[in-house]
Amino acid sequence: MSNAIKPHPLVNSTEPNLLHETFDYSLPPKIKFDGPIIEYIDGKSVEFDTKSLIKRDIFITDTTFRDGQQSRPPYSVEQMVRIYDLLSKLGGPNGVIRQTEFFLYTKNDRDALDKCRSLGHKYPECTGWIRANKGDFRLVREAGLKETGMLTSCSDFHIFHKLKFKDRKECMDSYCEVVEAAFEAGVRPRCHLEDITRADIEGFVLPFAERLMRMSEQVPEELSAKIRLCDTMGFGISYPGVELPRSIPKLIYKLNKECGVPSNRLEWHGHNDFHKVLINGGTAWLYGCDALNTTLFGLGERTGNPPLEGAIIEYISIKGEMCDIDTTMITAIAEYMDSIGVTIAENYPFVGKHFNTTRAGIHAGGLRQSEQIYNIFDTSKLLSRSPRVAITDKSGVDGISIWVNEYFGLKGDDRISKIKVHRVAQWVMDQYEKEGRLSTITDEELESKVKEYMPDFCTRYNGSLKNLK
Amino acid sequence: MNREEVNNRVKKVIAAVLEKNVSDINDGANFVTDLGASSIQSIRLVAGFEEEFSIEMDEEKSLQVQTVSGAVDFISAYL
Repeated sequence: MSNAIKPHPLVNSTEPNLLHETFDYSLPPKIKFDGPIIEYIDGKSVEFDTKSLIKRDIFITDTTFRDGQQSRPPYSVEQMVRIYDLLSKLGGPNGVIRQTEFFLYTKNDRDALDKCRSLGHKYPECTGWIRANKGDFRLVREAGLKETGMLTSCSDFHIFHKLKFKDRKECMDSYCEVVEAAFEAGVRPRCHLEDITRADIEGFVLPFAERLMRMSEQVPEELSAKIRLCDTMGFGISYPGVELPRSIPKLIYKLNKECGVPSNRLEWHGHNDFHKVLINGGTAWLYGCDALNTTLFGLGERTGNPPLEGAIIEYISIKGEMCDIDTTMITAIAEYMDSIGVTIAENYPFVGKHFNTTRAGIHAGGLRQSEQIYNIFDTSKLLSRSPRVAITDKSGVDGISIWVNEYFGLKGDDRISKIKVHRVAQWVMDQYEKEGRLSTITDEELESKVKEYMPDFCTRYNGSLKNLK
Repeated sequence: MNREEVNNRVKKVIAAVLEKNVSDINDGANFVTDLGASSIQSIRLVAGFEEEFSIEMDEEKSLQVQTVSGAVDFISAYL
């Protein structure tokens, strides 16, 4: 590699270059690739075509009612039906949220499944989840499902220490018996290769995948086995150059290209133990796995799963268009979850109470001049959440001016200048400088002070805390 | 209103907002560096001038005025 330094002269301009092609405010910022990815696999360079991602039919699957429920008290039937209905609206008619899976073991599980299907939505398709037990196919058949997930754990931690098989062959034969039973029952098996990022890939995973592909050749396409790559402990790594079994690129390449598992039959299921859950899911998409398994707000076992709403935003960013997804449903779902007692952190992306709240006065000043400076995209349009300011001693008059205008619901030229809010601003500063306050000023306190110090505006405009959403 | 009258009334507002004696406020004084105005006091000064003279000034331009004599000129243009 040359050590020559490349000169970069200033390109002077009196007009701003706001990079609209990427940062079109009406969409989440686009993810644009400018070349292929090279990964070295078994000593050879392999090229992955990044641009094909825009054309490929990648999609999202949901496990809110299965893995998501393993981390919390069960949802009621009514709650599951409501969530399912909202998921369908969110994913839209193209089935971006293609499937969601249900437990089948309790009456509550089966009632919820029946009532969700009775809504008549095409998407998400309802699938099941069972243990790798031949007898459990009775439940799948009775439920009339076309597909079910089944546990086929693949690391030696599971094979030997959890499931107590005497050797790998006994384990694989046992799994394949259940797959055969699925075929006989006319149910498509989705084999959940639990703990794949801690498994012997060459010694067990690839031979098992090859056997599944051979078995699938004997049945109609719609019954052919799918493979879910379960990163059970969150050990998966997205970086190129990482060795197996932790390398997501290599795992997918080997299953896809060496074992012949088609992309539309590969699904990534991650966990967030190392804060890598969403990028690992996006990486799986990138390297040839079409399905990304998720839960709403990442709720799931231990540290959770890829957040469905995060995957939705990632999907739009990759595709560069909305694809008939109704992102305002993300907020509707968050509000519904809040109403049934699900707690979401205030700083949680896209839905937390303060995800687009600015606190620093200097940022509020920028926000006042142009919303786009400190808002990630048009959150008012895409999420029904306009950018907010939280009022503290750092908010400055700019922050208070934004709050007051939001409170009165004023936009554009109708907005009140910051000169007019000076008494409210002075009261805020006095709270900290004279009263020694340490906490944030609440919306209710500010409303009270606006009524006290700006009575003329209160008469003229219809101020309400409801305007602050 | 002549310039001297505007000047006197401007200084009266400055004295009230910044808690100074009128006699300590020179025509050439800079609001921030000489008189110690904070950002919120700058806003209060503009609001005070608007009330004193019953005028409404351009927000951006009024906040760019840096000195007492500059304020007198700026306000005079509105009268």
